[in-house]
Amino acid sequence: MSVPTTVRGRLIGLLRLLGRYRLAFFWATMFLGFSAAAKTGTYLLLGYFIDDVLGNGVGGMGILPLIALAFVGLALIEGGFTFWSGKLAASTAEGVVQRLRNTLFDHLQRLTFTYHDTMRTGELIQRASSDIDAIRRFYSEQATGIGRIVMLFIINFIAVAQLNLRLALLSIIVVPFVVLVSMFFFRRISDAYELHQEQEALLSTTLQENIAAVRVVKAFARQDFERSRFEGDNAKTFDRGRHLLIQHATFWPVADLLCGMQMLAGLIIGGLMALRGELTIGAFVAYAGLVVWLIWPMRNLGRLIVQMSSGLVSYSRVAEVLAETQEPLDAGSYQPQRAPTGALSFSDVDFAYSSGPPVLHGISFAVQPGQVVALLGATGSGKTSLVNLLPRFYDYTGGSIKLDGIELKEYTRNYLREHIGIVSQEPFLFSRTIRDNITYSVGHEVSEAELIAATKAAAAHDFIMNFPDGYDTLVGEKGVTLSGGQKQRLTIARTLLKNPRILILDDATSSVDTETEAQIRAAMENLMDGRTTFIIAHRITSVMHADQILVLDQGRIVQHGTHAALIDQPGIYRRIFELQEQIEDELEKEIAHV
Amino acid sequence: MSDLHFEEEDFHSQFNGRTLMRVLRLAANHWRMLVGFLACISAVALIESYRTYLGKQLIDTGVVAGDRGALRAVAILYGSTFVLQSLLVFGFIYLAGVLGERLSYDLRKAMFNRLQELSLSYFDRTPLGWIMSRVTSDTSRVADLVTWGLLDITWAFVSIVTALVFMLAINWQLALIVFSIIPVLVFIAAQFKKRILVEYRQVRKLNSKITGTYAESINGVRVIKALRREEANLDEFGGLTETMYNAGYRAAWLSALFMPVVEVISAAAIAAIAWYGGWQTRVGGLTIGGIQAFVGYVTFMLWPVLDLARVYAEMQHAIASAERIFSLIDEQPQVRDRADAVDAETLAGEIVFDQVNFAYDPAKPVLKDFSLRVKPGETIALVGATGSGKSTIVNLLCRFYEPTSGRILINGRDYTELTLHSIHSRIGMVLQTPHLFSGSIRDNIRYGRLNATDAEVEAAAQLAGAHTFISALDDGYSSEVGEGGNLLSLGQKQLISLARAVLAQPELFIMDEATSSVDTLTEALIQQGMETLMRGRTSFVIAHRLSTIRRADRILVIDAGRILEQGSHAELIQARGYYYQLYTRQFREDRARELTTNDDMAQLVASAA
Repeated sequence: MSVPTTVRGRLIGLLRLLGRYRLAFFWATMFLGFSAAAKTGTYLLLGYFIDDVLGNGVGGMGILPLIALAFVGLALIEGGFTFWSGKLAASTAEGVVQRLRNTLFDHLQRLTFTYHDTMRTGELIQRASSDIDAIRRFYSEQATGIGRIVMLFIINFIAVAQLNLRLALLSIIVVPFVVLVSMFFFRRISDAYELHQEQEALLSTTLQENIAAVRVVKAFARQDFERSRFEGDNAKTFDRGRHLLIQHATFWPVADLLCGMQMLAGLIIGGLMALRGELTIGAFVAYAGLVVWLIWPMRNLGRLIVQMSSGLVSYSRVAEVLAETQEPLDAGSYQPQRAPTGALSFSDVDFAYSSGPPVLHGISFAVQPGQVVALLGATGSGKTSLVNLLPRFYDYTGGSIKLDGIELKEYTRNYLREHIGIVSQEPFLFSRTIRDNITYSVGHEVSEAELIAATKAAAAHDFIMNFPDGYDTLVGEKGVTLSGGQKQRLTIARTLLKNPRILILDDATSSVDTETEAQIRAAMENLMDGRTTFIIAHRITSVMHADQILVLDQGRIVQHGTHAALIDQPGIYRRIFELQEQIEDELEKEIAHV
Repeated sequence: MSDLHFEEEDFHSQFNGRTLMRVLRLAANHWRMLVGFLACISAVALIESYRTYLGKQLIDTGVVAGDRGALRAVAILYGSTFVLQSLLVFGFIYLAGVLGERLSYDLRKAMFNRLQELSLSYFDRTPLGWIMSRVTSDTSRVADLVTWGLLDITWAFVSIVTALVFMLAINWQLALIVFSIIPVLVFIAAQFKKRILVEYRQVRKLNSKITGTYAESINGVRVIKALRREEANLDEFGGLTETMYNAGYRAAWLSALFMPVVEVISAAAIAAIAWYGGWQTRVGGLTIGGIQAFVGYVTFMLWPVLDLARVYAEMQHAIASAERIFSLIDEQPQVRDRADAVDAETLAGEIVFDQVNFAYDPAKPVLKDFSLRVKPGETIALVGATGSGKSTIVNLLCRFYEPTSGRILINGRDYTELTLHSIHSRIGMVLQTPHLFSGSIRDNIRYGRLNATDAEVEAAAQLAGAHTFISALDDGYSSEVGEGGNLLSLGQKQLISLARAVLAQPELFIMDEATSSVDTLTEALIQQGMETLMRGRTSFVIAHRLSTIRRADRILVIDAGRILEQGSHAELIQARGYYYQLYTRQFREDRARELTTNDDMAQLVASAA
């Protein structure tokens, strides 16, 4: 899917998007024409009624009920087609948008990590919600609305031309001006509207931050400062709202006046024609009705065209996301039936996030199946980047990583991710039940016994059973609020059930209290059992038992070895060790003294 | 982000006259605009009706009578109605619009001011989304009611009444026949609108659910990929959009049915005009212009009737919005200054908790007969499991909440006799979840003391160990932190919030897990600075890291709202109680394992000891 930048390209794109709804949409537009014709018929009937029935006495009194019936009949035809058209337009708009929503949703979860890193969540959500809604309105309101105005114009023009061609031509002089004026104003109105919306969003952000940080505001007694900050945004919102109003307040009278003058001119000319006998009285009355439907809808054309152009931009914004390449989950020549043993070797691996500076340089080390590798280093030293290469969340830019002797890039991503489990610093749970969250990634049915075994090993069973709904407790905004430690234990249970060969524990205990930490540590030890494991941690006690420890600094391995070897050499490891040891030492002494 | 998508609440209240009166009183504060736009719109309705009547005159006295002069005279009148009307249209759009903006402004201001005064307990039980929708969608709904809603009602009433008068003047029998359809129209339109509103509410609910699902799958995309949930998620989402399709389609075709039905009913009126009017014309009771005018009035009257139905349906919604807004504005802060409160001179004195009891929820007491005496300048560390009441103690100390019974004394004086502002402005607080505001790093640190110079800001950052990482940023102190600080890591945010508190030069310093996400080397770096800062200042520190708490003058072990143990680190270790267990267990476990698995290590630890 390419991203069109021209109006033509976007319109073609929207037309293509119709797919199997193309016919429905065509008829939706045509039926509007039929309905307009029925409306026009009402006025022609009125003219006939005045001239022939009332004027010439055709049909006598007996024809009056028939005329009355004809009026109702025409209204039924008009209404029937309007309704039918509306129904078709609705099914088109809703159907196209449903398909688009599904496509976009699936696409978003298949885009690369790099893409998600660079796009802000809010931006993507806006495309998925308000831009898609704008596309829906394009089909249901704007395209059909413009179609309706055009149909009304054509059919009423033909009807007036039937009555008198010269009168018809004189009645539409103002039309181009009305369209131009309304397009001019609506461009401005939509600009002013956007400014106003932006300002409102800013106001919301100010309010949201104020409330989220209510403790900070109170703790620093900054209420007055906050009030004046909000006052600034509030006043600006008012100003921009007023600016928008002035545009509206100028446009509508000008457009009304233009249309009004056209109608006046039409009535005078028509009246004079009637006086001269060029037009019957009935025709004049019919004209007076028709001219309203010829002129007034035109005022809305500008509005619809401008709204449509924003719908077109929305289309491009959605197309832009869809044009991004997905992560090929199944691409790769190697997908063995068996699970990997977990032997890994890194040789001279480099990595840089797209267009950024390199974050890993010449990383080389080898891991035996079942070994534990610990990574230590300051924030930003490349620890997480390194482990993210394993499930191919990102692809390394140089060197080679081999799993069981085969280059990692030969494996399908699906295979790797099936056999790698991750417990990360910020545990992420979904707004569903605890049971769903734990069994989230397991392909098969999970028995109650299996589930409980996993949660027990993760030290989660007890607190889960303390909730009134147990495993069916809803998590998240609409459910219970879990503490960081509780969430972490659920993700551990989730990973246990997944039963991966390779395990990544990314700073999993940094934000929980001491007692919880002890429980999580025990749970993690259950998890690590026999698996090739990568541990990222700050604390020496968490890494000291690892088979090998890598100390990272600015993307390089600066120290590599076992705990015993590393504390013998000067370097970062020993500094951290000494700092922490000092505390333990003192504690040791204190204990000894008791 | 997902906070922004609130559920549409159902409103319980029937039509509430008092709320409506209160809304109107608000509008009456700007009575000039109110009267102005109502006058303009009434005049517009009058002119429109009059113009239809002029159309009749044009035909009868001009065209049918063949009088050129009369035609010209009517045409001039006809034209001037357009000119006058455009001026009036400008008037009502501008006046009503500005009134609406003004009302929104007033309401937002009143709510925001109230929110600044409300106590933390209010924010504990009120979700952010609820408050946000009061200030955004509810406000605009109320403003719309008072302006465009009132405008539509006025226009509709004046239009219907004047049309009635003109029709009665033209032919009263026909007028009465035509008028019989109005109640039918109103009833049907109101029924439709009610049903359509219900459908659209359903659509909106589903819509926010879809957006919520999008948000969750984007936020959790890394986990989804790691767990390979893509296909199952798409299946579920497909079910949701299917429901949405059905709801959206139903709402749309119901709306599509509405107009045709109304038009057919009005066609019945036109049929009546043709039938009865035709007969009247033949017997001379009605002119041709009269018939045209009747058709004009009927076609035109459709709109006021529809507007009435719409406004009526929306009004209930808007009144419910107004009730929610007023409930926020009327909310009384639980913690507030007493009438006779005085400013605290200093917080640097003795602080006493005297048999304090406290509960957020009466059924679950958090603190029970909690007593504590803190000497000026003392550093108190609070230790205990999540939920033991540590944070509650500092929240009470800051007077974010007040004790349910018992007293807290500062310098011998019950702190409820002091003003909140004088207490809060002397406190420096650093929280585990550091809240930053959009803006630069400098602005965020300066929040601690608004008149601090750049040099003072940097000095505070230095002391808080934040200077190094800030200087490494491209824009240094001018770097934007993003919405809520989300461009920075948790550890970085904690350091900035620490610097902010340092800059405030508080008399009472409170740190609640303030450096939990800061790495070991940085923590060691700021240790020194913190000790300098806390020296001579009364400080409360909540932490679980031994490195943070062991230098405190006194450590309180809190369990279930009581002090289980207290004393210095050394004393508590000697006491061999809970604290000893907590901090030596891990250590002993490690050592035990070392002894069995790693002799070298055991020797090493042994030699170190």
